[in-house]
Amino acid sequence: MDIKQAIEQANQKAAEILTKGRPVWVDVQPAGEAIPGMTPDTILIAGPPIAAEDIPLPVKNAICGALLYEQRAKTAEEAWQLVTSGQVRVEAAQDHDAACGAAMATSASMPVCVVEDKTYGGRGFCGVHPGNKQNVLRWGFYNDEVQDDLVWFRDHYGPALGETVRRMGGIDLIQVMGKTAGMGDENHNRQPAASMYMALQMIQAMMDMDFPHRDEIVKQFAANDRFFLHVMMAGAESVLASAKKVPHSTVMVAMGGNGVRFGIRLAGTGKRWFTVDAPLIEGLFLKPTYTKNDLLGFLGDSCVTEVYGLGGMSASAGPGYVVLTGSTFADSLQRAADARKVCVAEHRFAPIPWDGGQGFPVGVDARKVVGLNILPTSHGGGTLKAGGQGTMGSAKLPMDCFKQGLVAINEIMTSEAND
Amino acid sequence: MMNTDKIQALFGSQLVAVNIGPRLFGEALEKQHVEVVQVDWRPVAGGDKQMQELLAALGI
Repeated sequence: MDIKQAIEQANQKAAEILTKGRPVWVDVQPAGEAIPGMTPDTILIAGPPIAAEDIPLPVKNAICGALLYEQRAKTAEEAWQLVTSGQVRVEAAQDHDAACGAAMATSASMPVCVVEDKTYGGRGFCGVHPGNKQNVLRWGFYNDEVQDDLVWFRDHYGPALGETVRRMGGIDLIQVMGKTAGMGDENHNRQPAASMYMALQMIQAMMDMDFPHRDEIVKQFAANDRFFLHVMMAGAESVLASAKKVPHSTVMVAMGGNGVRFGIRLAGTGKRWFTVDAPLIEGLFLKPTYTKNDLLGFLGDSCVTEVYGLGGMSASAGPGYVVLTGSTFADSLQRAADARKVCVAEHRFAPIPWDGGQGFPVGVDARKVVGLNILPTSHGGGTLKAGGQGTMGSAKLPMDCFKQGLVAINEIMTSEAND
Repeated sequence: MMNTDKIQALFGSQLVAVNIGPRLFGEALEKQHVEVVQVDWRPVAGGDKQMQELLAALGI
C-alpha cells in the first residue's frame, strides 16, 4: 500500500470513530481517581505543554489556587515553589484525555465529569462548569470565596451530580444535541438549549433523590445555561481518546492554547504538539474600556468541541452567537462551509434547518487545510492578562500548526516505507 | 488555404470571458459589460512549494 492509500484508510477509520462514537455522561468522580496518569502531584492545564517560567499570570493564579485548595501549601509563593521545584508536575490536560476551560487548573480532588464513548470505549474528563461567576479558578482568580466554592463542588455539588447521572443510567450527549437541533446552539460558546434539555431530564431525577442540600444544588444546576459545555468537552475527549490511536491519520485530534502558544495534535503523530504563538480571540469586548493589549493569547481547551465538529466548525447552527460577536449570518454560513471543505466527515445527529439541513463537519484533515489554504474557525472566550474574560469571539486556526504536522507525518511515513 | 470562417465567426459573436483565479480581472471586464464566468481556482497550498511537494506524496 502506498503512502496516500495508507493515509486515506487511516482517515476513514478516524472519520468512523468521530461519527459513530457515542459519548454518554456516566459519572462525576475526583480527578485523581478518574483520569489516567493523574496523581496528587499532577496539575492539569489547558493547551500544549508549557515550561513553568512561561505560564501566564491567570493560569499561575489558578495553579497556586488549586494547590492551596488541596492544602499543599499555605501561601501562593509556597505553592508556586512546588511547581518550580518539580514536586508538582503541570501537564497538558489533553494528553490525559481531559480538558480545562480557559485558565482552569485541575487538581486531584476536584470533581470531573466522566463521559464514556459507548461505541469505542474511550473515556474523557472535564471539571464541572463553575457557573457564570467571573470570580472562579477558570478565569484565573483565587480567594476565600473561590476556595469555598471549590470545597462545595468537591463535597456536595459534584457528588450529587454524579449520583444523579448514575441513577439515570447515564445521559446520552448525542441525544441531547439531536433533541436541541435547530435551537440556535453551536455548543461551544452558546448552549442554553442543550443545558436546559439536560436539566429537564436531570431535575426530575434529582427531585426523587435524597441528598444533602438538594434544593440548593438543583437551583445552582438549573441556573447555569453553560453547564453543557464542560460535559461536552469531556464527551469530545471520550471519542477523541480512540481517534488519537489511529496511526497514519492526518486528522486533528487535539487543539488548545496555554495563553502563550497555541497547538494541535494529529492522530498519526502521537503526542507531539505542533505549536505557534497563540492568536487572539477577537470579536466582542465585554467592557468598552478593554483593548487588544489587555488580552492574552488563545487560552483554553474548550475548543476540543471544535475538534469534535461543534462551535466554529458548525457556526451556522448558532448564528446568534456569530452576530452577537460582530460578524454576520452570512459569516456563520461561511465558517461552516469552510469547515466542510477541510473535514473528513459529517455528524448527522443535528441537521441545521437554515443551512440546507446539513450536519456538523467533523475531523479536520491537515492535508486539506494546507492544500486548499482554508483555515477553519474556533469560537472562544478571550482571557485578560490580569485574569477574567475579556472577549467572546473567534480565531482562525493558525496555518503553520498544520504545516508542521504534515512535515512530521511525512517523516513517519517515509521512515516506515524505508524500513 | 486554411478555412478561417469559424474563427471569424467567433470574433463576430458575443464575448464571454472565463476568469481563473483573482476576481479583479473579471470584475474589470464586467464593468465593460462583458459576460464573465468566474472559476474559483487557487494554487495548491497557497503556492508554498515545500507543501506542494509534501502533498504530492501524502495526497489531498
